[in-house]
Amino acid sequence: MKKVFMPLIMVALLALIPYVAVTYANMSYLFGVIIPYAAAFIFIAGFLWRLFDWLRRPVPFPIVTTCGQEKSLDWVKQNHLESPSTRFGAAVRVLTEVLFFRSLFRNTKAELHTGPELVYASSKWLWMGGLAFHWSLLIIGLRHARFFFIEPPAFITAIEHADSFLELTLPAFFMTDAIVLVALTFLVARRIRDAKLRIISLQTDFFPLFLIGGIVLAGMGMRYLEKVDILSIKALMMGLVSFSFDAPGEIGALFFVHLFLVSMLAIYFPFSKLMHMGAIFLSPTRNLPNNSREKLHKNPWNKPGKFRTYAEYEEEFREKMKKAGLPVEKD
Amino acid sequence: MRKKNILIIGLLAALLVVLVSSFRAGAESESPAEADAARVDSSACVYPKEYMQTHHMQVLEDWKNTAAHEGPDAVHETADGRKFQKNLSTCLACHGSNRYFCFSCHAYANVTPNCWNCHISPLDTP
Repeated sequence: MKKVFMPLIMVALLALIPYVAVTYANMSYLFGVIIPYAAAFIFIAGFLWRLFDWLRRPVPFPIVTTCGQEKSLDWVKQNHLESPSTRFGAAVRVLTEVLFFRSLFRNTKAELHTGPELVYASSKWLWMGGLAFHWSLLIIGLRHARFFFIEPPAFITAIEHADSFLELTLPAFFMTDAIVLVALTFLVARRIRDAKLRIISLQTDFFPLFLIGGIVLAGMGMRYLEKVDILSIKALMMGLVSFSFDAPGEIGALFFVHLFLVSMLAIYFPFSKLMHMGAIFLSPTRNLPNNSREKLHKNPWNKPGKFRTYAEYEEEFREKMKKAGLPVEKD
Repeated sequence: MRKKNILIIGLLAALLVVLVSSFRAGAESESPAEADAARVDSSACVYPKEYMQTHHMQVLEDWKNTAAHEGPDAVHETADGRKFQKNLSTCLACHGSNRYFCFSCHAYANVTPNCWNCHISPLDTP
């Protein structure tokens, strides 16, 4: 249980640091300006470095994973989505993977019944939980554009209106806030409930979940419960995106908790499993077209080799082969 | 089986009677008492400015809900004893002097409250 509680305590401590520092030591400049800039720099530089690091590695083999009929003779029907043979098809497959988690949709679970009998069954819960979680995060992220633009793009305003469509509370309740909390709870509970998953889960699996949970709770707390001055926040955010170093105004401490946790997430991002955000696009098992029968995929690691054909070999040893009674192609 | 069905229907009917009577009781208890001297004191707002900056929407929602239930009885009493009728007109009696009072901040923060779906917006009055 240490691996569950340690990340939880760490997130709680991380949340406490800015709260204490801003409330009692008046360090809002450090937590409102300096740390966010540093975090943004580390996030962008680290992210780009990880991508560059992956891109410079050679891909020795076409290791694309498929689960459909590859392109073959004309009268064999190709499965274009599951076994794409063009770069465009591969891009479509990556995109459907990113947007709809298609490979997770095929998730199965194995259960040992009395008998003994091993039973495989479709398991869509993780797919559903993951999809709800990621889409909520995307929409929540897009909604935050209202702090960074004087007038956010129309589609973001439309998303915001659709999200607050229920008009339950004032300020209007966002559906994605509830969905992301439910999905987070599911994702944590899933790792704890099942013994097999519990044993393969690490601290680094729980930490980002708790961290994002902390960010969500701090954000919802600001919106619905412990109100903060939104005009000062917008002024600060508009300043940050225009590289100004103006001191933040009078904002509630909860905002600095939210911002600090986001900064920590940004710093943690390039060094963690969260890099799957960039890696999904660079994964050779997904982004390569399945055309190994059409095109020669050269291993870039291969040194220019010295080859010798059989004809050359026979040329050298013909007399000896004849004496030994071995068949030769040319007399 | 049949007895069980009758029991369930009976219970549901009883529940319905209790619910209806409780709602009726609530309606009857509403007394048409006069709003006691709820006058607009325009020298200061109902709450301090800092509080209103962050909480005005919740104050307004509370006013809306209580006003809908209590009608003319819905009177807000401030900490220092001043009384205000819970009504959007009470707010606008002072803040309506600047037609852009609501809109300049809401536009800046990209907030679109639904007040003006029903109420007449100060921007729409001549």
